[in-house]
Amino acid sequence: MRLLVVEDEVKTGDYLKQGLSEAGFQVSLARNGLDGHHLAMTELFDVIILDVMLPDVSGWRILQSLREANNAIPVLFLSARDSVDDRVKGLELGADDYLIKPFAFAEVLARVRTLIRRGGVQKIADILTVADLEMDIPKRKIQRAGKRILLSNKEFNLLELLLRREGEVLPRSLIASQVWDMNFDSDTNVIDVAIRRLRGKVDDDFDVKLIHTVRGMGYKLEAELNEN
Amino acid sequence: MKINCRPMSITFRVVLFVAITAVFSLSVIGTLINSAIEHHFAQQDIGELRVINQSVETTLSQQHKAKVPLASSLSKAVVGHHGVYFQVNSPTGALIYSNSPRDFSDLILTLPASLEFNSDNITTHNIGKATYRVLVTDYRDQQANYKITVAIDMSFHMQFLGQFRQSLWIIMLCSGLLVLLAAWIAVYQGLNPLRGLSRKMQDIQSDNFEVRLDEGQVPTELINMVRSFNLMLDRLQKEFLRLSNFSTDIAHELRTPLTNIITQSQVGLSRPRKLEEYQELLFSNLEELDRLTKMVSDMLWLAKTQNGLIKPEQQVLNSDTEIAALFEYFDALAEEENITFIKRGENLTFYCDKLHFRQLVSNLLSNAMRYTAKGSSIIVSITKTADGQACISIINPGEKIPAEHIPYLFDRFYRPDKSRTRHSDGAGLGLAIVKALVETNAGKINVTSNDEATCFNVFLTLVKNHN
Repeated sequence: MRLLVVEDEVKTGDYLKQGLSEAGFQVSLARNGLDGHHLAMTELFDVIILDVMLPDVSGWRILQSLREANNAIPVLFLSARDSVDDRVKGLELGADDYLIKPFAFAEVLARVRTLIRRGGVQKIADILTVADLEMDIPKRKIQRAGKRILLSNKEFNLLELLLRREGEVLPRSLIASQVWDMNFDSDTNVIDVAIRRLRGKVDDDFDVKLIHTVRGMGYKLEAELNEN
Repeated sequence: MKINCRPMSITFRVVLFVAITAVFSLSVIGTLINSAIEHHFAQQDIGELRVINQSVETTLSQQHKAKVPLASSLSKAVVGHHGVYFQVNSPTGALIYSNSPRDFSDLILTLPASLEFNSDNITTHNIGKATYRVLVTDYRDQQANYKITVAIDMSFHMQFLGQFRQSLWIIMLCSGLLVLLAAWIAVYQGLNPLRGLSRKMQDIQSDNFEVRLDEGQVPTELINMVRSFNLMLDRLQKEFLRLSNFSTDIAHELRTPLTNIITQSQVGLSRPRKLEEYQELLFSNLEELDRLTKMVSDMLWLAKTQNGLIKPEQQVLNSDTEIAALFEYFDALAEEENITFIKRGENLTFYCDKLHFRQLVSNLLSNAMRYTAKGSSIIVSITKTADGQACISIINPGEKIPAEHIPYLFDRFYRPDKSRTRHSDGAGLGLAIVKALVETNAGKINVTSNDEATCFNVFLTLVKNHN
């Protein structure tokens, strides 16, 4: 998967590139609007991450050129100003998603993956498996190593989310939004408690742990924890 | 384009008003005096003419007994009248006698004449340099018919009137100007207290906000204004104090995480460490930075609501659905804390942005949980108020919030117990955000607290038609 990051802030650009590369993407970094515009118009990418406030050619301009050229590539724009007008403008110009600085890296990763997933037609699997855990969505049955696990509705949804996005770090805000439809940053540790309880049912009785805490970022479900 | 139209100056308005009144009333007075004098002179002249006319008629009526010719009788008819003339003509117009330097014969046939002395028939004529009042009467008796013409020279009166008018206008002009000057001085003097107030207002700066205008030193008309101004200063001073406390609070709140980050980074880097220790350091930094980020976004959000930049979507929400969703969200946490949530009251539909509603009730619920003992229950009660609003009350058992804290509960960074300077979660913005959320959605919020429980009431607009 190829990504283009257009970001003039040196540190932000560097860390976005490093983080995304380590998450398995091929990342091109443009440090100014002109290069970004050129790369976006000439090369093929799967997603473009665009800072709107660039000193030379603005992110808006790049986005506009892309859409005028009928290029429907998903664009995630980054902005330091959280104004409704900016958001509306971005979405009107054809951006697919936006993030306001300061943002959590896990959030960027999650959004990029969502955009990529949205692009390709994916068959939604009915039965999800990881390691010895099997989840039958239509029958709402969960088994681990042949043992039946009983979950509440929301726990079921939570596990389904983790399973569908296996290996991805899911920030708390994303979990709250996807499972409970609470689209705001909460002060509470509701998500932590919910995960803890889910672990109690899914992981506690087994040697191989599936649900992992990524400190400072969120949670992920993975069969083997790659120590790095 | 909006035309900026400043109202006329007060001085100008008053002086203009006085000027119009003065001109009007002085003109009326002047005209009255003028016509009174003219009338007086006219009456005097009519009297003279009547006397002369009578004398002439008497002379004519006794002529048949007289031994002298008519002209000589007539010459003796009028004695001792100055400036009064008469002449007698035959009905055909031939002059019989005249004591006048002017001959009025040409007027006799044109002017109306009556048998009686009729003052309505008196007319004014300019003949040569003089002006005369002239009256013609017909005289008839058994012997003869005559036309009598009496005239009075009114040049003297005219001259007097002219002079009188002139001085009258000069006096009026002078008194008019005097009135204007007096009005101007009165206004200027009258506005003096305002200038004094303005000087005092100029002296008020942010560092001497306690200065107040003295009600006792202004005229009664200005007392209300001074009172309002002082009240405005009170409000501003209070807000100003809040704001400056607020800045101090922000600095304070920012200092703690910053100190943590700096200290732990410096200590961490002071000597080589194991990989896990570096990781631990970064994690810890991240936690502090998350806190800072949250605080900055919350502050920005609050600033935006104050500037009206948050535009809520007006959605129709159903209390049962929303409260159930929120309870579900808190379910795990509540079970962990051994707290039960209870919903009471009606199922109402009301207007609010869904995201905002969930966020505000979530904040209130987590706030309630913070002060609720394990094993107790938090009640969410939905009621309809008398004035047709939906009231969502979040009630938690717990200690009474002292009355002096209640007005400040929704202030940013306000914490009733000063000892607990830093909460386990949140930076003391939770309730400020709740209030902003409610107000952005045209709602109201209040708190009541007694020895058993504390209750946050959120009032939102009910959806009118229930079908």
